[in-house]
Amino acid sequence: MDSFFPSGGYAFSSGLEAAVQGGAVRTGEALSLYAKDFFMQGLGRREAVAVARAWSAVARGKGQGAKEADWELEAMNLCRETRMASRQMGRQVIRIVAGQNPSSILQDYLAEVETGRTPGHVAVSLGLTLGACGWEKEEAVAAYLYQHAVGLVSASLKLFPIGQREAQRLLDEWTPMLSTLSGAAGEQMEMTAWTPVQDIHAMRHKRLTMRLFRS
Amino acid sequence: MTGTGGTAAGEKTSSVGLDGELVLDYVRRGSRTVLARSRSRSPWHLSPSMALDETGSACTFLLNPSGGLVGGDRLSLCATLGADAHAILSTPSANRVYRSLGEPSVQSVELTVGPGAILEWVPEVTIPFAGSRYRQTIHAALAPGATIVIWDAIASGRIARGERWSFTELSNEIRITTASGGSLLERGCLTPTSNEDGVGLAGGWDYVASLYLVNDQAGAEGWERMEESLSGVLADCSERVLGGVSQPAVPGVAVKVLARSAPDLDAVWQALWSVIRGQLWGFQVPALRRY
Repeated sequence: MDSFFPSGGYAFSSGLEAAVQGGAVRTGEALSLYAKDFFMQGLGRREAVAVARAWSAVARGKGQGAKEADWELEAMNLCRETRMASRQMGRQVIRIVAGQNPSSILQDYLAEVETGRTPGHVAVSLGLTLGACGWEKEEAVAAYLYQHAVGLVSASLKLFPIGQREAQRLLDEWTPMLSTLSGAAGEQMEMTAWTPVQDIHAMRHKRLTMRLFRS
Repeated sequence: MTGTGGTAAGEKTSSVGLDGELVLDYVRRGSRTVLARSRSRSPWHLSPSMALDETGSACTFLLNPSGGLVGGDRLSLCATLGADAHAILSTPSANRVYRSLGEPSVQSVELTVGPGAILEWVPEVTIPFAGSRYRQTIHAALAPGATIVIWDAIASGRIARGERWSFTELSNEIRITTASGGSLLERGCLTPTSNEDGVGLAGGWDYVASLYLVNDQAGAEGWERMEESLSGVLADCSERVLGGVSQPAVPGVAVKVLARSAPDLDAVWQALWSVIRGQLWGFQVPALRRY
């Protein structure tokens, strides 16, 4: 995945900005704990499963499974800012990809997103995209999780004193975990999440008096 | 069970639990809500509804005289509110979930809220003992104009014994569906004793609670005001709890709270509930007369 892909992800911090301002994350070590918890109890069990379901929808040639995952994400994302960020990035992804790839499942999904018949969350857009591009399912899930990990360290570079080497070290440290979660995420799994600390910081972001990020 | 009333050696623990059922149907009669029909099967015990104040609402305490849930217990509760009814469902004390080596303890709750009706689901905290296995589902279906308040809190365990986050499994699913088909869904599964990281960052806290308030006919402006008011409550309590509020995918608000003590959790809950009742209906928080 190219980090220059214009999905708009650079504008969002997934609640990290509120966690930093609240004093919960100020060091690389604290960021690592925050992120590992986020991936293992949240993204790796919810969004990763949505990616797998969207990928499988492409493999079956039927988009219904992807739409169901999309609506489930919509219902489970209780924080408005997080939900809107995911939808905005997802819409960007599918618009760009559908403009270059004639796959009918991508075209149909874009039409559904544009008319509001499905929310267009980024996990689903990416799962459909990478499925249509011939990626393996595990690779598609890994790409989603890794992109999110890169987003977190990129945001942290702007939010508190962490150097690029430390950021790279953290990504390296997280890679085995992301790989394990990617292998475990299956379309048959129930989407679950239990990240109350991260959820609360995401909810509090809206009321920060100074903000660099939109979530 | 064996003929002598005991459990035979080697018998599956799944045969130990009870299939409890509680059915509650509320209707509005004049200015009051009454419990028009009810049915219960052990371990549920039916208690009469009470009018706690002059609002016309009916308050029912959900009684499980066995003292808690054991492995193999399967409790279901089905509450239906007719048009414009108003019911408060609570518990007299904490919901204790005992250790189980085999089957989980299961509680399934189905709530149907009619047009213009109000349901406040406000039980005491659930305490999952070390080694317990608990599965809870709360599914609520709202008719147009119906309002639901759900307060759902868990403790890390028997904290006074130093028992924290040592249950075997706890899964919880809360789904609220509005008349338009939109949903709010919380679904989590925790297995702290088999996870290297336990329950993650929440492990630094002893109480975790969710509060949901949904009504599909209140305007967006009203929810903005409510979000702002509840946020103010959380800010006032920020020395004692970590909390956040936002708007879910259905019209309403979602609140998450982490606390380190039961009094802290209860204080913030009472303050949040007071704002909700005052702002929506001009009501005060009722005295539930638990203690």
